Amino acid sequence: MRRTPQQRPRGSTRGSPQVRLRIGFVLIAMVLSVFGARLVQLQGIDPNSYAPMALAEGLREVVLPAERGDILDRNGEPLATSVEGSMIIADPALTAEDAPELAKLLANRLGVDYFKVLERLRAEGSRFEYVARQVPAARAETVVDVARERGFDGLTVRRDPVRTYPGGDVAANLVGFLGTPDPEEGDQPLAGLELAFDAQLSGTDGSARYQVGAGNRLPLADSTKVDAVDGADLTTTIDRDLQWYTQRVLRQTVEDSRADSGFAVVLDSRTGDLLAVADHPTFDANAPAEAPKGDRISRAMTDVYEPGSVQKVLTLGALIDAGKVTPRTRITVPPVLNRQDSPIGDWFDHGTIRLTLAGVLAKSSNIGTVLAADQFADGELRDYLTRFGLGRRTGIGVLGESPGILPSGSLWTSQTEDRIAFGQALSVNAVQMAAAVNTIANGGVRVDPSLIEGSATMNDGSVVGTEQARTERVLSERAARQTAAMMERVVDPEAGVAPGAAVPGYRVAGKTGTAQAVGEECACYDGSFDVSFAGFAPADDPRFTVYVVVKNPGNGGGGGSVAGPAFAKLMSFTLRRYGVPPTGAEPSKLPVEW
Amino acid sequence: MSSPAADPRPPGAVRSRVPRIAEAAVERARLTVVPRAQAVRAARLPFVVLISVLMLGGVVGLLMFNTSMQQTSFTTTTLEGRAATLLAREQELTAELEELRDPQRLATAARAQGMRTPVAPAFLLPDGTVRGEAVPTPEEDGERITAKAPPLPGILAPPPPPPPAEDRTGDRDRTRSGDTGAGNRDRERRDDRKTRNDQNRR
Repeated sequence: MRRTPQQRPRGSTRGSPQVRLRIGFVLIAMVLSVFGARLVQLQGIDPNSYAPMALAEGLREVVLPAERGDILDRNGEPLATSVEGSMIIADPALTAEDAPELAKLLANRLGVDYFKVLERLRAEGSRFEYVARQVPAARAETVVDVARERGFDGLTVRRDPVRTYPGGDVAANLVGFLGTPDPEEGDQPLAGLELAFDAQLSGTDGSARYQVGAGNRLPLADSTKVDAVDGADLTTTIDRDLQWYTQRVLRQTVEDSRADSGFAVVLDSRTGDLLAVADHPTFDANAPAEAPKGDRISRAMTDVYEPGSVQKVLTLGALIDAGKVTPRTRITVPPVLNRQDSPIGDWFDHGTIRLTLAGVLAKSSNIGTVLAADQFADGELRDYLTRFGLGRRTGIGVLGESPGILPSGSLWTSQTEDRIAFGQALSVNAVQMAAAVNTIANGGVRVDPSLIEGSATMNDGSVVGTEQARTERVLSERAARQTAAMMERVVDPEAGVAPGAAVPGYRVAGKTGTAQAVGEECACYDGSFDVSFAGFAPADDPRFTVYVVVKNPGNGGGGGSVAGPAFAKLMSFTLRRYGVPPTGAEPSKLPVEW
Repeated sequence: MSSPAADPRPPGAVRSRVPRIAEAAVERARLTVVPRAQAVRAARLPFVVLISVLMLGGVVGLLMFNTSMQQTSFTTTTLEGRAATLLAREQELTAELEELRDPQRLATAARAQGMRTPVAPAFLLPDGTVRGEAVPTPEEDGERITAKAPPLPGILAPPPPPPPAEDRTGDRDRTRSGDTGAGNRDRERRDDRKTRNDQNRR
């Protein structure tokens, strides 16, 4: 406002110095007061918004990823292990131009699909497209370097750890698998031990903040670092080679008998360590998506079934322990036993035959077992079976384990007891039953089966492992030895029903099982059968217990002909692998008839 | 320090009769001319040089220190990159090794060389005796280590054998053979058959 009148005299004269000076001062004062106001604004009013912005310039914050723990077998062989991996990301804004050439390079080097990659490299309006995920880090770096050398821009590499399962399907049903990792949330455990022990395996990510200049860390600038805590390894009691062999024998057995599925369990008799828990059908843990969902669980733990005649071992063992019978007790077995609600028959036609208790087991007579079990007092059998571990979870650390059904209270009638005596009307899971039979192998002392070596904490806080395994005496040592001797007669070519289960040179004790199975659709006995064989060797100094179950064989085979030979192979392999020589003692010669 | 009693009196002191009050103070108060001090000014040059050297040394030292730290930072970045690459390489090699140690691969290789799983273990003791039963291993492989091929699609498959209808009936006369086990007898096939009562239905 003042300037306009002052400009007029300018043409003729420069005006008085005082006036010019004054104007100059005023101008300077105005400018300075603007500066001052800005200074007050910056320092006084909102100092906090600018300081972080200044700091953020050049500040780098990175996550220090924790390495996921391995899952190992008892010898330290990895069942699941983590490998440093990378994802390759394209920025289509930069890659679209040379997309065909770049896609060709990537397809050749990484084995990705040319057309898919081409599409992604040209994606419009996107600046972030995955080219490949979970590539081994070294290979990803090489590929990106080569691309850069040839003048292709727009590819970057980010961390993307790879979980590999060196054995493929070996123990896959137990170990489980991870889903594709989420860039934000990290590992995505989906099943098995990977899921159950995720908290222990995953560890805690660390973080680091530091300032960088030209790609290098500034030495004296502020920096903080929180170290990552790597996940702890999980050691199982599984023996990888034995597990592999068990799975192969089981697969062959299931395929050849045209069965639906099967499981096999190998237990160390003395410690209860599960050396192998095999399931068929199974899946390749490196490519879980290719298998049906139902095959990716551990059926040996989640599927319950009626154990059938294998149960007779427990019934008769308990009877001997209770002092009601001896292996030589004489029983007259009628052709049919008429009970309150229904007749009970044997699997083979016979007139009235005279069997000893050992004969009842060796010939697997239902009638003989029911007659012998009549001597139990009320609730005695149920008490024994509870102590054998039926009806409750083994708690070995597998998610979704089913406890099976042991009827109680009003459901336990005398008719039920008759059927339970020979293994129907109750249900078990395979590990539970293997541990129960192992009680007899271990001299009458039940030892909790374990899958985890040492001790480990599950996500739900429960602690499992060999260190937590408890032992409980169920039968007297004498009763257990006598039961084992009776079981030896089962594999005798003359006296028993399962000579195919014998291992040449060894004393083997075992028991076949063929049980009516409940069909899924009708929820009734639909004519399908579950066949099984449980046993241990050497019979006079047991080291291993093996249990094989084959569900619904299509060839009409029974426990002795389908599961028996599989048992013999597994037992023979295990004895050789652990260097257990035959004891050299004479096998049991208990009479089966009288 | 000096006490009047111990002080040797100067001989022939004229003022011996003057009362010896504050003699020490009087002595002290006696003024003399201060001798002119020698011009002993310290040489200025060494000091300036010293300070300059110190400052220069400090600045240069600091600069070099900073530079060397920067250099270390460069080296760190390079080495960290190399360590990461080498770690990835190591893991890749370990994974490769694991693949080679895979039981399935080993078994396939062993079978390709004609090795077989023995039927039963036997032990040769140091004294030459054999423990266990030495059973010859059959020429044909006992275990099938690969999965059976899936059935051919209908159009390629040969006509199926007559359906095993009696298998599913739950009838007692399940006499079909085709078991895997050797040496099984008729009766095993129906091993442990259970009661046939309808009451068992759930």
